[in-house]
Amino acid sequence: MTVTAPRTRALRWPAVRPWLGTAARLGLAAVWLLAGASKVDDLAAAGRAVNAYQVLPYDVATVVGAALPFVELALGVLLLLGLATRLTAGISAALLVIFITGIASAWVRGLAIDCGCFGSGGQLAEGQAPSYLPEILRDLGFLVMAGFLLIWPRTPVSVDGWLTGEPVVEDDDE
Amino acid sequence: MSSRKGQKGAAKVVRQQLARERRRRRTMWVSVTAVAVVLIAGLIGWGVWSSQKSDEFTAPKNTAEGGTGVVVGSGPVTVDIYEDFLCPVCKQFQDTTGGTVDQLISEGRIRAVYHPVAYLNRFSTTEYSTRSSAASGCAADEGKFAEYAKALYQRQPPEGSAGLTDDELIDIGAGVGLNRDDFGSCVRDGTFKAWTEHVTDTASRNNVTGTPTVIIDGQQVDDRSPEGIRAAVEAAGK
Repeated sequence: MTVTAPRTRALRWPAVRPWLGTAARLGLAAVWLLAGASKVDDLAAAGRAVNAYQVLPYDVATVVGAALPFVELALGVLLLLGLATRLTAGISAALLVIFITGIASAWVRGLAIDCGCFGSGGQLAEGQAPSYLPEILRDLGFLVMAGFLLIWPRTPVSVDGWLTGEPVVEDDDE
Repeated sequence: MSSRKGQKGAAKVVRQQLARERRRRRTMWVSVTAVAVVLIAGLIGWGVWSSQKSDEFTAPKNTAEGGTGVVVGSGPVTVDIYEDFLCPVCKQFQDTTGGTVDQLISEGRIRAVYHPVAYLNRFSTTEYSTRSSAASGCAADEGKFAEYAKALYQRQPPEGSAGLTDDELIDIGAGVGLNRDDFGSCVRDGTFKAWTEHVTDTASRNNVTGTPTVIIDGQQVDDRSPEGIRAAVEAAGK
């Protein structure tokens, strides 16, 4: 009895994996769309949120803050469609690594800011404690999703799949 | 037999190579498209933001050099106060320490510079932070900033609401003795909205990342209690 359990799991993995990939793709798409939409209506505030990290010069921070919500929305749409999934997952992973580094550095430098990940951002009011650890853990969760898609980019119900016109199978190019 | 088999095999290899080549080219174009989409999105963001920015502004009267804040008093110690009329902690600061600041002004000890920044536009559905700040500019233009700001805090709307309407902002102005017609058209026309943006932009450039922020002779003061402010002013005056 104890032998069959791992065997059935091993048999199921190829069947389950593509759908796990779809879930990761749509989940990450939702993350980017929410993150972008929450910032897009106040680009000046998004710039201030970037500036609050005190990493970039003010003028650069404002431009990054203005561009980022739109980049996030674009990544969200691309993932939702499943177009260039591996590349999009790669860009997502790179961005997430930058975000995690930024939050960690704010933590290390003892800044008391909101990460500004989903709107708001900037310095916290008195008595409000920063929640750097949950923010980092959350971003690490997103990074795992992006990593999954980097390794297995082919998922059902995607433009990538439709373009190649092949069933979702193991293939090592792309 | 064997040569035929070989030919078949060779054809298969060629087909596979062609398919691989097609796949490679398709992947390349899809990737180029995706990268272009992301880059263009970023440029759109930059463009939208640049078009939102206004470069020219008119500062109200009674403002500090460069128009970054409204000056009340003329004491030797400068107290910069950064506030957003929607920010609950700013109201709290006004309630607990506003009286002390007024007293220090009337004693001739400090020169208060109020910077009504619009940091919290996201927390109202009508950009109340910008509208109330611009309205306070209208009041400053008539030398009634302090009175108007106090009245605004008394009727501070909650975060996440629509805030007060322009009509309500005008009523409050009339309530502190501003001319309803002149003040009303100043508020309605958004005469000092560009000034509000300038105040906000300058504040964030100076690393004021939250409200309220109190800076006394260039030193940020964390203890914003009446005692804390008095002590800091005394220290700065020495």
